[in-house]
Amino acid sequence: MNRVSFSLIRMLLIARNTLLEASRQKLFSFLLLLALGLVGGAQSLREFNFGASELKFLADLGYGAMAFFGAALTIAATAQLFFSEIENRTALTLLAKPVWRAEFMLGKYLGVVAVTAVFCALMTGLLVAVLWSRESALLRAIPDSFTQGRTLRIVDLLLAGYLQWLKLTVLAAFTLLVASFSRTQLFTVVTGFFVLVICHLQYLARDAYAQGGSTFAQVAAGFVGLLFPNFQLFNFADDVGAGIPVAWDRVARVSVYALGYVGAACGLAVFSFRKREI
Amino acid sequence: MWGRLADSRSSVFANVKSRLLAIFVTLGGLALTGAALRWMEAPLWAALRAEQPALRLGSAGAAAGQGVTLGLLGGFRAIVADFTWLRLHVIWEQRDLAATDTLLRLVTTIDPRPLYFWVNGARIIAFDMTAWRIAEAGGHDLLSAVQRDRLGAEQARLAIRLLEEAMTFHPGNAALWIERANIELNRLRDSAAAAESYRKAWEQPGAPTYAARLHAELLRRLGRKAEALVWLTRLHPQLPPEEEGTELVLSRIRDLERELGVPVMQTYRPAASVPSGQSAGESRK
Repeated sequence: MNRVSFSLIRMLLIARNTLLEASRQKLFSFLLLLALGLVGGAQSLREFNFGASELKFLADLGYGAMAFFGAALTIAATAQLFFSEIENRTALTLLAKPVWRAEFMLGKYLGVVAVTAVFCALMTGLLVAVLWSRESALLRAIPDSFTQGRTLRIVDLLLAGYLQWLKLTVLAAFTLLVASFSRTQLFTVVTGFFVLVICHLQYLARDAYAQGGSTFAQVAAGFVGLLFPNFQLFNFADDVGAGIPVAWDRVARVSVYALGYVGAACGLAVFSFRKREI
Repeated sequence: MWGRLADSRSSVFANVKSRLLAIFVTLGGLALTGAALRWMEAPLWAALRAEQPALRLGSAGAAAGQGVTLGLLGGFRAIVADFTWLRLHVIWEQRDLAATDTLLRLVTTIDPRPLYFWVNGARIIAFDMTAWRIAEAGGHDLLSAVQRDRLGAEQARLAIRLLEEAMTFHPGNAALWIERANIELNRLRDSAAAAESYRKAWEQPGAPTYAARLHAELLRRLGRKAEALVWLTRLHPQLPPEEEGTELVLSRIRDLERELGVPVMQTYRPAASVPSGQSAGESRK
């Protein structure tokens, strides 16, 4: 094994196969259609909107669907695509060839990342179309409310979609890390959802204990805050829906933040998988 | 036999050692990554919190409510809150005070962003619920004015508490101060408190002119006519001449000058109006 060097081509081949395998799965099609249906049909739900402006309501719903169904898809697809190789023994056949375990793991990861990219691209595209058409209709109906022109900027909508995807790539890396040492798919899926919840809520624990917990609790909450990324940082949907421009430097910083955690989680997944008996 | 046992024990120890090492490496690796990225996360997080009041949770109770719903529901908060508001309306028609109150808390917990929920919620608590309680206690005719006022005051205080909570999510919002002033005036019958709230409403960006006019009017009713006159003479130059209320403010100034017997030479003379392009809100401070 040590005689062959690490190959990006082999890794990309594994990623391509993972993407193909994912596209054949019913789960992917089901979640994608469900999410697209929700966003596409969001206009019919706007009658139920009381509080926010109509465009903000539609944007909220669209990005909410992307985050919710995207997270479900990421966790389920990562666990399913990893464990199908283990349970069908195809991993044994593959790793008996001159293929690095790192190539296998990173290939699987890139395959899942490609799946989430397709999902987010389709969702963002549909959301942009829905928002654009509704804003055009409102512009014609009530031009007095749009004296400054259009409030939504396409580039901001795309950036918010990109950040949702970035969040899913971090989630996929953490799910793969869990899968690398987990024995069952169910454990991986359940733990993946716990990771999702912790990443969304870790700031609450940090705040609560910083305000008045014991020293031990403060240290423990701080440690949890270091272990898990803060997923609230990826949420720009509020700004976009309200027509507030997204700052590019913030997007760049969040991207670096995400890449840092992706790198660490993938590296640790490879480390853990190398020690695993298949 | 002892040899096999020793081999087995050493194998178990090696296995445990390997697992512990894996756990330590994983936790250590992630913690180091988090520590290395903290310098980047901290300013981003501070900026995000400054922009989104929903992320500023002062108490553990708020963290358990808004924080969890915000974290878990994400963008679905809006639609979930809307459907909860619909449900609240059904309960409101049945005049179920406890259920309406519970759903009102739930709606504002799920999505604290829309003002609609806070303002209408405060009105329901202050006015509708007072009427329900009076009806439940025997009706308007059976209760004395003192008893009715006591019930109204209790509900008004609850509504004001709700508005104060709303202000933590929407700092600097004139509509919330105006709603508070309306409740203080019409339910608590406290003109001094209402005058103060109208003044605070006027200090917020984008406040309507009538908030400032009502502040002066309440000062006049309280007998603080000189104070009202000073307020209006300071207000008038800040208003654009084309605005409907500007002329009204000037006529109130003249009324007060007459009531106070201000000598002609000392009466207010309108100076240059607000330059075009500058709003009253910009010039009031």
